[in-house]
Amino acid sequence: MTPEQTQADLLPGFLAISSVLTGFSEHALRGTGQTELYLATACEMVGDDSMRMMLGAFSACDIGDDTEAMGRHMRLCILSHARFGPLARNLIKLWYIGTWHCMPRDWHEAFGGNPADRDHIPSPTSYTEGLLWPAIGANPPGAKPFGYGMWANPPRVTRA
Amino acid sequence: MNGTEPFKIPPEAAFATTYDVAIVGSGVSGALIAKTLGALGLKVLVVEAGPGEDVTIGEYTKSVERFYSAVSKDNNAPYAHSRNAPMPRDYDAVKLRDSQPNDRGYLVQNGPFEIDSTYSRVLGGTTRHWEAKALRMLPDDFRMQSAFGRGRDWPVTYDALAPDYGRAERELGVSGNVEDQRYGGLTFEDGYVYPMKRMPPSFLDKTMAKDLDGFEVKVGEQTFALNVRSTPQARNGIPNPAYDGGKGFTPTGAVSIHQAEMGGRCQGNTNCVPICPVQAKYDARRTLLAAMDTGNVHLLARTVAFRVEVDGTTGRVTGITCKTYADKDAPGHVTGMLQARIFVLAANAVENARLMLASDLHGSSKLMGRNLMDHAYLLTWGLMPQVVGTGRGPLCTSGIEDIRTGNYRQHHAAVRFSIHNDGWGWATGAPYTDLAELVDARNLTGAALRRGLIDRVGRQLLLDCMIEVLPEETNRISVDPRHLDQLGNPRPVVSFHIPDYTLETAAFSRRLTRQIYQRLGAEDHTRYDPLAPGWVSHDGEGFTLRGGNHWAGTHIMGTEARTSVVDATQKSWDHGNLYLAGAGSMPSIGTANTTLTLAALCLRTADAIAAELSPGLATASVSTHCQEIPA
Ligand SMILES: Cc1cc2nc3c(=O)[nH]c(=O)nc-3n(C[C@H](O)[C@H](O)[C@H](O)COP(=O)(O)OP(=O)(O)OC[C@H]3O[C@@H](n4cnc5c(N)ncnc54)[C@H](O)[C@@H]3O)c2cc1C
Ligand code: SF4
Repeated sequence: MTPEQTQADLLPGFLAISSVLTGFSEHALRGTGQTELYLATACEMVGDDSMRMMLGAFSACDIGDDTEAMGRHMRLCILSHARFGPLARNLIKLWYIGTWHCMPRDWHEAFGGNPADRDHIPSPTSYTEGLLWPAIGANPPGAKPFGYGMWANPPRVTRA
Repeated sequence: MNGTEPFKIPPEAAFATTYDVAIVGSGVSGALIAKTLGALGLKVLVVEAGPGEDVTIGEYTKSVERFYSAVSKDNNAPYAHSRNAPMPRDYDAVKLRDSQPNDRGYLVQNGPFEIDSTYSRVLGGTTRHWEAKALRMLPDDFRMQSAFGRGRDWPVTYDALAPDYGRAERELGVSGNVEDQRYGGLTFEDGYVYPMKRMPPSFLDKTMAKDLDGFEVKVGEQTFALNVRSTPQARNGIPNPAYDGGKGFTPTGAVSIHQAEMGGRCQGNTNCVPICPVQAKYDARRTLLAAMDTGNVHLLARTVAFRVEVDGTTGRVTGITCKTYADKDAPGHVTGMLQARIFVLAANAVENARLMLASDLHGSSKLMGRNLMDHAYLLTWGLMPQVVGTGRGPLCTSGIEDIRTGNYRQHHAAVRFSIHNDGWGWATGAPYTDLAELVDARNLTGAALRRGLIDRVGRQLLLDCMIEVLPEETNRISVDPRHLDQLGNPRPVVSFHIPDYTLETAAFSRRLTRQIYQRLGAEDHTRYDPLAPGWVSHDGEGFTLRGGNHWAGTHIMGTEARTSVVDATQKSWDHGNLYLAGAGSMPSIGTANTTLTLAALCLRTADAIAAELSPGLATASVSTHCQEIPA
């Protein structure tokens, strides 16, 4: 399989885990236009095998809509896992602020991946499409302004 | 706006021409002088060290994208680094060890205070990334010595400068409300209104005002009632129909040599520093392109002034040697000499002094480069009890101004507070650091992460305390042949310490902000790291102070050659055809960001040059009277 085929094949799992990790629906994630780019970026930096294994572990049990069970599954099988935990946390940050952070050195020593791994922003729109801004009811500084004077209104987000 | 083509002049042509006036620097100082003189028909050359780009929307967009793509979004992030015209970056300010100077950035830091202030060497200068707060200085700020026995008096009073403040407010396009500016002895011409209505106060401002307005505090012997007041700023808002005797005001939006329709009004991009994507914020390219439109002003970019040449007998400047480079990074340049009847250095307080000292011109007072001032910023931050929608609107829309002056200034420095709509970013790197903490330390994901972020970021309040620093001769810019840049220009060496007079107010401000948080029911999260650059201690308490980016004082203004560098028109006492323009001339900085005041000074300088070169030419004077508009 070519890298594109591999990644197309990983896409549904990638969207599903991204949605659980970020708290944004798959629909919202797709709407950023960044999904393919982020999957490609992550695979390029950590290697397809790590990504494939993490997605495998994620979908190993069929949990359905039980959010409590999903939370527990994520903690036990992904977030505390030496190989998958750092990758999962990196994906959250990638989605939230559009920056890929270099994986820790000991992670690369243990699990391989790309020696040229580095902090970077995959594309200028990755920054403006960050989920952090809608999460806090703000616009990304320097883009998507709400319009003159809108800052005088009460915020659109509230504490749950 | 349509700039006149050709916009730039080739170096051979510029160096072969004798201009009426040659100006070093295309920032707001240089641009205002160029525009005023060009409009009077004088032939002017503006020399700019940085690449003369960003005059089309396409080029400007590249700067915006460079900012989007930068992992480290420091305040010079949109602007490409240039080895031939380097500029300071705030991250180069690091803790000094064993009193060793730090020369890793363009500024060589001699300490003891590590200052993280910057400036930009690009077309339009530092206003490209300024925040555009445009407060006037107070009458007391001009008479520090006579009123409080501290610092120096200006050779100009507030009342004398007031009409020029009005002109500067027009040139920069200031949005504000005169009623909110009635404190500390500030006066305005009868019926004066700002060109545009005030920026609407943010939801955060209004929430704070509810519990804070009327809070009585005792400072020294005096009691002040604090109020949240809107901050005048050079950002396009709604034009005030009452402006200029009822003529109103037309804001200038995006500038480009091609037609562009945007920037007529701020949209709340929350990114005024380091770049406004729609150009609703004033930057000096506006004035510069208007200067070019007169048809009398040439721009020579990629050209760094290297040495001011002086006739040993008369003291008059005979020319300025410049180096023009082709590529911003590659070595290689051509050398030429600027020729003009009058020369103006408008390269900012650091660079003006650096250039003079590099030319061995220390001034008969030996004060060149000395009396360096900048505001010291004490940051304090907390969480409001309710979600206030942090991260929306211009960085600041209001502040607390009532204690900007008082008799206490006999003992300690003046201060004003700004309320930040952009959260804790300046202090902690929020919201990025908050995200990292919530994910990496608090192990939050999914919906819990989203709730955590609203709670943690959406309630953020940062109060910056902008504290006055008085002129002291030991605070200074100098040069040292050991520290040169690629073109062979000596780099600026900064020696700076924070006087006790200022530290006392840092301690006072910390106490007062604690009380403010107590009154608001806000959680105070302020912490200072002793290992951070800018750490100072005073009376057993430690703080981190940050630079204010308001470099001033290095060619200080006064009434005589013995004790100052320039006169009240910014003309050099020693060199009859040289003006040193900008904040370097200011004998005090009070608690106002410097640009509006330096703009007012530069408009006076333009008048003085016009009077000298073509007596009889009327100088531009604008009426800012307003007409009663029936409700
Ligand atoms: C982050 C930040 C925020 C700020 N916010 C505010 C604010 O809210 N309100 C406010 O009043 N002020 C603010 N300031 C300060 C404001 O930007 C400056 O006061 C103002 O830009 C100074 O204008 P100037 O024209 O004198 O100098 P500059 O704007 O620095 O322009 C000098 C020009 O000279 C050029 N130059 C330098 N050396 C040479 C040389 N050797 N040869 C040829 N050209 C040269 C430079 O490239 C530059 O274009 C802020 C500054 C910063 C950094
Ligand atoms: S808030 Fe936004 S639109 Fe307004 S001036 Fe700042 S960056 Fe420009």
